[in-house]
Formats: sequence, C-alpha cells, structure tokens
Amino acid sequence: MFGYQNKVLRIDLTRKGTIMEPLNMAWAEKYIGGKGLAIKYLYEELKPGIDPLSPENKLLLMTGPLTGTPVPCSGKLAVAAKSPATGTILDCSIGGHIALKVKYAGYDAVIFEGKLSKPGYVLIQNDKIEFKDASELWGKGSHEVEGILVEKYGHEASVLSIGPAGENLVTMSCINSDYYRQAGRGGIGAVMGSKNVKAIVVIGTGGVKVDKIVDVTNRLTEILRTDTVSEDNMFIYDCGTTAFLEACNDGGILPKNNFSDTTDEDWTKYNGDVLLASKVGKRGCGSCGLGCGNFLKIGDAVCEGPEYESIAVAGPNAGISDPESIVKANQVADDMGLDTISAGDTIIYAMEMTEKGIHDFGIRFGDKEKYIEYLKLMAKREGVGADLALGVRALAAKYGGEDFAMHVKGLEYPQYEPRGSWGMSLAYAVSDRGACHMRAYAPNEEVFAASIPPYTAEGKGEMVYNLAIYNAVKFSMVICDFWPLSLERMTEIMTMITGKDWTEAEMNAVAERVINIARAFNQREGFNRKDDTMPKRLANEALKSGAAAGQKIPQEAFEDMLDQYYAVLGWSKEGMVPDTILCQL
Amino acid sequence: MEVTISLRGHLIKQFGGEQERVVEVPENTTAEEALKLIGIDWKTARNFGFVAINSHKVLMTAQLKEGDQLKAYPKISGG
Amino acid sequence: MALKRLKFTKDNCIGCQLCAQACSAVHEGEFSPSKARLSIESYYTSDGELKYKESYCILCGMCKRQCPFGAISMDDKLALNLDLCTGCGVCAEVCPKKVIKIRDEKAVLCDTCDGDPSCVKICPHNALKYE
Repeated sequence: MFGYQNKVLRIDLTRKGTIMEPLNMAWAEKYIGGKGLAIKYLYEELKPGIDPLSPENKLLLMTGPLTGTPVPCSGKLAVAAKSPATGTILDCSIGGHIALKVKYAGYDAVIFEGKLSKPGYVLIQNDKIEFKDASELWGKGSHEVEGILVEKYGHEASVLSIGPAGENLVTMSCINSDYYRQAGRGGIGAVMGSKNVKAIVVIGTGGVKVDKIVDVTNRLTEILRTDTVSEDNMFIYDCGTTAFLEACNDGGILPKNNFSDTTDEDWTKYNGDVLLASKVGKRGCGSCGLGCGNFLKIGDAVCEGPEYESIAVAGPNAGISDPESIVKANQVADDMGLDTISAGDTIIYAMEMTEKGIHDFGIRFGDKEKYIEYLKLMAKREGVGADLALGVRALAAKYGGEDFAMHVKGLEYPQYEPRGSWGMSLAYAVSDRGACHMRAYAPNEEVFAASIPPYTAEGKGEMVYNLAIYNAVKFSMVICDFWPLSLERMTEIMTMITGKDWTEAEMNAVAERVINIARAFNQREGFNRKDDTMPKRLANEALKSGAAAGQKIPQEAFEDMLDQYYAVLGWSKEGMVPDTILCQL
Repeated sequence: MEVTISLRGHLIKQFGGEQERVVEVPENTTAEEALKLIGIDWKTARNFGFVAINSHKVLMTAQLKEGDQLKAYPKISGG
Repeated sequence: MALKRLKFTKDNCIGCQLCAQACSAVHEGEFSPSKARLSIESYYTSDGELKYKESYCILCGMCKRQCPFGAISMDDKLALNLDLCTGCGVCAEVCPKKVIKIRDEKAVLCDTCDGDPSCVKICPHNALKYE
C-alpha cells in the first residue's frame, strides 16, 4: 500500500542502539495505523502484568498512511503505551506538526524500549539518531525546554517534551508539543519520564509518495473545499471547542462543583465570546484544513486554547468564573506537563472533600489562586501536591469520598455530565483507557440533536457501539475528531492514498477489530465487567438544575446499558471477548 | 406574543447573518412552530441540532410563553 | 498589464503547510515540504508569541538580473533554462525571500504552476492569493 514508509524505528534506550525494521504490513492491513496499529503492536510485544513505569513498558509513536499527505485534518500522532494511571492499554493523540515530521523523517512508527541510564533527549534527524544529555533541561517546564531545543535545532524541528510532572512520574502527566498540544491522558508523560527521556526532537526532510499524486492532490483540494471547510464545520475555525460551552450549558450537561450539579449562571463570564475577544492568533496542525487553535492573551495568561474540557474543569466544575484564571490554569498545566482533565478533577475532588469536612486539602470551590498553585505542587509532588498527584481513585481509597470520586478504572471523568446524557455513562465505563469522552461521544446524539432521548437506557448499547466504531477506525487512519466525515468519504480517502480498494465493510471490520484488541489487551491484564463502572454519585444524587434537573441514573439502567453493549459486540455477560474473536485479532 | 429567537452556527443565515430577533408569534406556539414561522423546518433543515427555551434544552413540541428566548443550535461535532 | 503575484495574508494562515505539500506534489512527485518552492510556517515562542516565517516568490526579478548565464527568464512567470543553468547558486544567494534552492546542481524556483498556483488552490482560509 502507498502512503506508508514501510519502516519502523526501534530505539533501545538501555543500550543506546537503534534498529530500522519493516512495518508489519500484515498488521497494517488489519489495523491501518494510528490507534489501532499501535495497540496491535503493544498487544503483541508487551507481556501481561508489567509495571507501566518499568523499562519493560514501550512508548510508541504511530502515524498512519495518510500522515504527511494533504488529507485534511490528518496531522495527528498516536502515542501509546500501557497506562500508568489505569494499567489498561493507553493511546493518546497529539496534534501540531510532530506527526508529519516523524513521517517525513522516513518512519511509520518509532518505538522506545528500555530506559536511559540518566536524563537525556533523543534527536532524530531523518536516519541519524543521537542520544543527548538532558541534565541542563531536567527540572524545567515544557515551554522553556521547547524554546531551548528549537533555538538549537531550528523551527523545522518538532519537539515532544515532558514537564516536571512527567519527570516525577505523576500518573496524570502528559507529553507536550508545539507548546500547547498534548498527548494528554493516562499518565503517558510518566512513561516517557520513567525512561529518563526529557524530550524527543524530530527533523524530517523526506516525503510521502502516493500513486497518481497530482490527481490525488486535486481531489483532496476539492474535498477540502466542499467537505472539510464547509459552512457546517466553520464553527471549529471561528470558535474552536468554546462553542461547546453554551450548548452544554443549555443541554444540561455542563458540570458544576465536582459534578454535584450542572448549569452555571455565570457562564457568560468565561464563555467563547469573552475568551475569543482576547484572541491574538490562529493555528492548526499540519495538514489541517479547519484550524481549531485559538491563541489567547488575557492579562498575564497566554495559551493556545483552552479547550472545552480545560475551561469546564478550571471553571464551573471548580466554582470559578474568572476567564483569566481559567486560561492561566491551562497555561500552567501545559508547562508543568499535567493533563488538565485529571489534574483539574483531582483538585475539584479535593475542594469537595474540604467543603464536606471529610479531609482538609486546604482548598474550596472558587479558590482560583490555590487552583493554580496546586497544579505546580502536584507536578513537583510537593506539600499537598504529594497527595493530590496520586489522583482521585487513590485519594478516595486513602481518605474517603468514594461516592464522588469521579473516575473509571482510575482515569478521571471528562466534563460531560452523564445524568444529562445517559449513554455517556456507558461510554465512559467501556472506554478502553478509563473514563474518556473521545471513544464514543454520546452528547452528539443525545444532547446536541433531537434524535435520541437522553434520559433512558433504551438503545444506548447500540448507540455507543456506533459512535465507538466511527472513532475507532477514524483514529486509526489517522483523522482528527473535528472533521465529521462520512464512512463513504473515509473509504474514498483510504483507497486514494493507499492505492488499495477499501470497502466500507472492510473499514467497519477494522473498527471492530480495534475495539476488540483494546478490550483483549485489558482482559489479559485482568479487566472485565467489574471494572466498567459508574461513580455512585450518578445513581444516588439527582441533578438539581438545568435541562436535566431531577435526573439520576439507576444502577439497573446502567447495568442494562452494559448488557446491551456487550451483546452488540458479541462479548460475554462479564464483558469478555470470546476466543472466537480473539483468535482473529 | 413576543419571543426572542436566537440562532447559532450556520442557522444565522436565516436571519441574514444576525444572531437574534424579536418575533411576534401566536399564543401557545411551540418551538418547532416558531421556527417554521421564520423559515426553519427542523426536520428537513441540514444538520439541525436542538432547541433551548431560556437556556434549557427542550423538546421541539415545548410551548413558548410571552418573553421567552428560543435558541436553535446546529449539530456540532467533536469532543 | 499588471503582473499577478503570490500574496500572503498572515492573519488567515493556520500554519498547516498544505501549500508546500501541494507544491512538492506537483513539482517533485511526492508530498515533501522541504522540497517545495515555498515555505510558510507559523510557530510559538517561549516568550508567548506566535510568529510566521514565510518564503514565497514575489516575482521581484533579482534572480533573473543576477544570473551570470541568463538562464532565468521572466514574462508573467519565471522560467529556468536547464541547459544554461550551471547550479552556480548566485540566484539562491540574491533571492530576497530565500525561495530558490540549488539541488542536483540546478536551480529550483517557483514557476507559479504556469499561472494556476497549486498552493493558492489548496490554502484552506485563503491566506495565499494570486492576484
């Protein structure tokens, strides 16, 4: 197939050696690339039961056949490993330009194995790989590090870096690139930190070849103009994900005060209009057509973003309505190398614990100064940060408040309230890496549309399955979340770029395979139905405000949704993938 | 009775690019009827999302009262 | 008759580099921005700024005037006579926008795709125009 480089760079950090090997094309035909192929590699190469922070874990950077071509919105890189936060499989997606640089350097994937003996960074210049000393960089924030490395290697270089959080193996640490883009969740930054890798610098000056390249370029230009940068999608360019604030608030799913209620009367103080009034620039990823990045400067805060998740978790869910504080929280989290969602959720849990008198973490809802200070302490594991860095699940086990410890499998809850969108409780529960909104995005169907009633379990198994299928193959191609292209268009693009005739049926088969292999990885680690959970708050407490006032999700309804989902996929009642499927993966 | 209709996303085309207008509608008009009056048939409109009355999502059959704000959203995608 | 040239509006640029991919596709047979005849990037700095680095042909004609072998001609676009070009590199040195490169002992310059620039066609928010 065209589009691929047919080359994987395998780096042994322990021995400081490198191997170039062919891409496993048989696997690529089954999983395409990105999310799916990364999980396949890890499934085959990792033994079950390893410690995710040990040298036995592997850090994978995985592109797809479309990466580095003008397929709109194809500039994302899958970053995968076994998750330090949950022990499940973990795949993240980072934007910016790093995906294209890896591909142009000549690789479909880069696999990091083992561990450097002391802090270093890896420099990849096409086929030249060097291991450099990072003792001067260790301890610095991601932003300073990126500045130093770009000064040294030029703007053509893309840099992946961890902040102090990753160095300190905080299980909610992220990997940064282009200053404000992240491979965010599950502690992926701690995997890099556990390997003593402070940064990865990639310079790629090669290219990607496809058949009939001029025809392909012309057709992609047409698709860009008619399908991607369409009137319907322009809200991404105009507002980015700030557009979701108003819709979620009206829809009754914007969380308030650690998911204790929804709807914030003060939302107009930090909404898209306010934030975007401070916009000083726009940026997108490589090959993007839309351009979601809003570069904001508001008071002392500078950030590209913040995205909906980061606004909600540092805003209404923390009882804060100051836009400068919200943007500052995003900036500090990025620089410290912390996932805004998990770090924010932990802080707001701590707020509720303090308010309720269960344990005094010294912070209450609305305390915006402490919010920022606590982010720094968590990254460094200092003071109260030493406790908070453990995350919501561990803190609840230590101090209590289990009912409102909002997580699944140890990954903290994204900012969509499931009592206003019942299918989302299922989506969070069955997501492969813990509570994640990027596997099946239920609000699309239950809230932002009139089609599916939100406050019922009926039909939600099938709904979440359809949403999960769509994202599974899309993130394996790799195409960004923001372009809602049809399956037909995905199939056309795959055929055009790879030169192989793909059918919609084959694309769906890839999608199911990806969901199954992620589940199989987790199954092998001991996960099953008992781990597909819903926080007790959602069953015990009815919402008081907003469009979903009065709603809570009965445990039986949740169990019914799980049953439905497993049945659609042909899994057992315990949520186990049967041997008949396992042997085909 | 008077209600305010507020449009989002590509739906603002219906108001020639303005976001909001005050509109005169009969008593007990439903959300879908009010939209029909300004030229939007939600069943056939491209990528129609949902409606909210006074910032609360409601069904299309919800009835408006004097002075209400009816907001209409397009479908938005993403996560 | 006024000459059409490439024009760049940085406020519309999202730094996607689709322009360079299209250029290299059409001229070099692969998607490879480093081989394109233009280079437009945006990048952040550690002191909190968003900057642009742009390099595209403005049809100033310096290369044509300075070429010791008369290998470059310019009517409504630039054209390179490969037989006369020796790869001496003077054009690349004098190009004020740093567009011209020397590769395999020949100059590589922007020919505006014969009056229908691919970069302009693919630019998603019309940051590049040809007028």
